[in-house]
Amino acid sequence: MTRAFLRMNVLPTLTLTVCLLAPALASARQSASSEAPALQPTTCSVEGLMDSIRRGMKSRSEAYKLYLRTLLRESAVNLPRAELQAAFEREYDPVMVEHLAAALVARTERGLEDDAFQVVAKRALEDRDPGLRAATVRAMRRTGALGRSGEMFERLVRDPSPEVRMEAATNLVEDTHYVYGGHHGPAADTAVSAAAASDDPKVTAKVLGQLMTGEISSDSARKLERLLGSDSAEVRAAASTALGGVPVAEMANARQSLTGMYRDEKDPTVRKAILQSIARLGFSGAVPELQRLRAVDPSMTSEIDSWIRVLNMNHQDWSLILREKQRQQQAR
Amino acid sequence: MRHTMKMTLAALASLALVPAAVTAHTVKAPFPGTITALTYYPSGGYHGAIDVSSGRCNYWGAETAVVGSVHWNVTINTSGVVCNGNGYENANMAVHTWADGWKFHQKHFIKTSDSYDRTCDRCQVGNEGGTGQATGPHAHLMQEKNGTKDTSWYSGYTTRGEAVDRSETLGVLD
Repeated sequence: MTRAFLRMNVLPTLTLTVCLLAPALASARQSASSEAPALQPTTCSVEGLMDSIRRGMKSRSEAYKLYLRTLLRESAVNLPRAELQAAFEREYDPVMVEHLAAALVARTERGLEDDAFQVVAKRALEDRDPGLRAATVRAMRRTGALGRSGEMFERLVRDPSPEVRMEAATNLVEDTHYVYGGHHGPAADTAVSAAAASDDPKVTAKVLGQLMTGEISSDSARKLERLLGSDSAEVRAAASTALGGVPVAEMANARQSLTGMYRDEKDPTVRKAILQSIARLGFSGAVPELQRLRAVDPSMTSEIDSWIRVLNMNHQDWSLILREKQRQQQAR
Repeated sequence: MRHTMKMTLAALASLALVPAAVTAHTVKAPFPGTITALTYYPSGGYHGAIDVSSGRCNYWGAETAVVGSVHWNVTINTSGVVCNGNGYENANMAVHTWADGWKFHQKHFIKTSDSYDRTCDRCQVGNEGGTGQATGPHAHLMQEKNGTKDTSWYSGYTTRGEAVDRSETLGVLD
């Protein structure tokens, strides 16, 4: 470990640590020799943290950058709200905008002001620079944004910038999965509504292709069924996948829609997605249906037979069925 | 030079006090207190969870323990102030269900105006209490799936009798 390394990587850390732990380091400073790094006593401030982050972002260490992001977010509850908001509003560097926006959102998430989140949401929707809008959307990722403003996502997925639309799609996928665990109906419904509202097939496909739909409402299930008629094969495949995971009450309708669609569908990727969802909806009970579909398209026969073989093993958990199917695919 | 290194190491060690990234789902103490039970009760019976107690019934400063924004399903089975238990089925609890079906439970708190389903990062869902099966006010932190308790998430992070504050890492969930 060289002194250059210490200066580049450790000293900013020490300064930041002083920010949080001034008393502990004050006593350590007294015992330091003349060779010790020159620590500058400082108070925790928005500007001080921003300077440290600006310097730290030049570091080659991803772990250190993550630390800095976490530090600002964790410090947010102790920083003056007005100062933080003012810094956010006058900042135009996308990296810093993302950090400051995340700090404002953290205040809301930690139970402080609800409107700190609204300041960030407003900029995500209204800033003229698409790069800054995208950065602000990223700052709301894996937070309660989905529950706070579903309407915001319906607007974001129609943003003129493809970058913003894709960031919003990523938020929808990650928020429903990591914040709501995929088990929260209203969050999944918001994601389905936003996906259906988008005119960008890539956005709709990204959201629906990865969404856990086990708790969605009937209304959302109907939206998914309508999307089976999309002009985009990508969207049809994603909607088919999403319909495979619907709640028990929606299973019969989903199965009927998918089976009906299979006969007219020409795209092999979509057909594979439909077969997977039929298998998922019925488990071993789907075997007779799959056997009937064998005659529709000879090029899909081996795929159907593969599903029939796996389903006949009578596994009782979808993850096991899917794993076995993948194993057979790799073995071929 | 020895002092330099000593100080550098001290500063780096102090970073452990800064909460880790939200994606790690670290679990922190919900309030300052003492760890009173872990996998086994002091009596030897199986527990399979962490109990934290400050000993102060109706202490207002209790927070959800998971670092990072997650949705909490809050169930209220007791509306009044109960400090020393009122039967297993009467526990108030906040539960987060992870995508893989495992559930994190935080139990026994006393109902307040904050006791409702919410999505938040270390927020209040009730005061420290003893609702449900309890012999005193405490928070019960447990990860389970279909009745199987996971004890690995806190193994090696804390010990019975340890005094903890909110910055103390009690375990890591994923």
